[in-house]
Parts: sequence; structure tokens; C-alpha cells
Amino acid sequence: METNISSLDINKTYNYAQYLTWRFQERIEIIKGRLFKMSPAPARKHQEASGDLFRQISSFLYKKPCSVFSAPFDVRFPKGNSDEETYTVVQPDICIICDKSKLDDRGCIGAPDFIIEILSPSTAEKDTKDKFQLYQEQGVKEYWMVYPGEHMVDVFKLDKRGKYQFDAKYVKSDKVRVGILPELEIILDDVFRDD
Amino acid sequence: MITDISLLDPNKTYTYADYLMWRFQERVELIKGKIYRMSPAPARRHQKISIKLSRILLNYFDNKKCEVYTAPFDVRLPLENNNNPYTVVQPDLCVICDLNKLDDQGCNGAPDFIIEISSPRTAQKDVHEKFEIYQEAGVREYWIVAPEDEMVDVFLLNEENKYIHSGKYANQDRLKVNIFNDLEIDLTKVFA
Repeated sequence: METNISSLDINKTYNYAQYLTWRFQERIEIIKGRLFKMSPAPARKHQEASGDLFRQISSFLYKKPCSVFSAPFDVRFPKGNSDEETYTVVQPDICIICDKSKLDDRGCIGAPDFIIEILSPSTAEKDTKDKFQLYQEQGVKEYWMVYPGEHMVDVFKLDKRGKYQFDAKYVKSDKVRVGILPELEIILDDVFRDD
Repeated sequence: MITDISLLDPNKTYTYADYLMWRFQERVELIKGKIYRMSPAPARRHQKISIKLSRILLNYFDNKKCEVYTAPFDVRLPLENNNNPYTVVQPDLCVICDLNKLDDQGCNGAPDFIIEISSPRTAQKDVHEKFEIYQEAGVREYWIVAPEDEMVDVFLLNEENKYIHSGKYANQDRLKVNIFNDLEIDLTKVFA
């Protein structure tokens, strides 16, 4: 059991079984065995955007088969059948899962159908490179990147070959239809606040 | 001659000839005849990034045949067979390689490369209106820079003259300008 984050070795490879034994305050993600620290807590604008996206999606999904979760919520991508063989566990800002068999008490195992990450300078590299690759490989059908500082949203959709294609960039005055749930239209004017 | 911006009608279609008659303090852009006010001045961070990018571009183009301009600098985008343009914009940064397009008023026609440093106030204009007119006018490469979230989106004209998203670059990346050889920008420096 590790109670101090500084005892972890940034150059080492970790797995989900080890992750479960960690007992420190800081949130951590593991992508392909590599550690990504998540502290400090996200900025206010980040949380406002995330909160409103969750509100719009969860009211739409009320009494519908898909579920929406917001961070912290563990999504694991296992390589084998055991926790030891699971080298990736991430906490997407928002994710939608339509296949209930992927859900267990600890979170989600396998690819959500839809993921939103709210960008920030400290996660920019991870969100655009590591997670972009990961979500593409794992078959997350739709991936949105939200710019809380500029009030923009970029939408990527998996094509037939399993590669993300840039769909479009949207701004505050736009409404964006969710590709995997065509009846759900997100009103970006509510997501981004003027202040 | 108009000396007060409030006398302009937001629903009217104006031309470059009208624009030249305006004598008020505020900067405005005309996009397809419609007025877009540019006040107040951009945020400090916007200007800091703009200065860093201009320094990199100016160094690269020193002793080369293309010219670099920073806002305020009028770029007129004429409609075909019409020498009284309805679109006059002031891109944050632009590079022009056909020097025949340059005159005393600015640039008449499409620059080769444009960078807009965005903000919540200009996002709609940068992502929709300017995206459309730059695509139509044939600006070969267009970057939208997000100064707060420290990201750059690169759009390149394809053979059908449509912009394709060629990449998204974060604050630790090195970004190669596609249309100019060996011009690489270290974004850690730009966003530092």
C-alpha cells in the first residue's frame, strides 16, 4: 500500500491492481502503464463547462438506456482478464456508456461510446495526444474537446477505418448534435458563461 | 463622412468605399458588408502571443520574398470582378508572398497564411465567418490559436479549395508551417 504519491516512480510502468492499493489524496491516471498526475483541481471555468454539459446530457438520458458519468469515474482498458493486465485507467471529464455490461462497481471496463475532455494548459498534451490515440484505438465513437478559455468545441468522430476524423469546430452560439445520440442537441450558449 | 460609429446601421451592407470614409476611433471589420466591431483592445495575453509569433515569422522571412504584417493591417477580399470589396478584415498575423497584392492601404487579395488568436469575444467570427471567407478567398493555411487553453488548430486548403483540419497542437509541441519549408515553431516558447 502506497500512502505517498512521491514514492511512485514516474519512469516505471504501473497497472490497475497497483492503482487500487494507492491511498493518497492526489488523483492519477495511468495510460499504457505511464503515470499522469491530475492535481491540482480543475479551474472554475472547467468545472462550469463540465457541470452544464453533464446537466444537459443527464436530463436527456433520464429513463433512457445509456448512462452518463462525470469525473472522477474510472474507465479501464484491460489488456488481459485481470487487474494486473490492465495498464490503462483514465478519468474522462464526461463519458456516455450505452452497453450496461461494461459497468461494474468500480466504474467502466472497456470503451465508452462518447467522451468529452475539457482542455486546460496542464492537460493539453495528454488530451490531444495520449488520450486522442487511446480513445481512437479503443473505439470510442465520438470524442469532443472543449476549450473553456475560448468557448469552442472540437468534434472528432471515428470513421469506418477506426480513425478519428475532425468533424467541425463549434462556438458558443452553436448547437451541437451528438453523433451517437442524434436526438440530443447540446446548447453551447449554456455551457460557456460570459464573465 | 461618418465620425460616430453609432451612426452605422448593423443591418446594412457596407463596402470598402464606405469604410474609407469612417473617421471614428473604434476599429471595425467588414465581412461581406456586415460590420464587426473590434473594440475593446485584445487582452494582454493575446498581444504577448501575437508578438512572439510575429518575431518568429519576421526572423524567418528576413531576406525572403514574403512579407509579414500584424494587426491593424487592412486585408481586402474582393468578390470576383468587383473592385469595391465588401470584406475588409484585420487578421492578427498574415504572410503575403505575392507582393503585387500590397499597396499603400494594405493587402488587396488573399494572404498566403493567416493566424487568428481567438478569444470568447471573437470565437464565432474566427471559427465561422473568417473561416468561410479565408477558405473562399484562397488563404492556403489558417491557424486558430487558443491563448487560454494553449492550443493551435491548423487548417489547410485542399485541392477542392476546402479547409481540412490538418492537426491540433498543444503547448509542448513543435509545429511546422505547412506551406513554407523548414519553418518550425516551438509552441513552448509561444505559450511561455
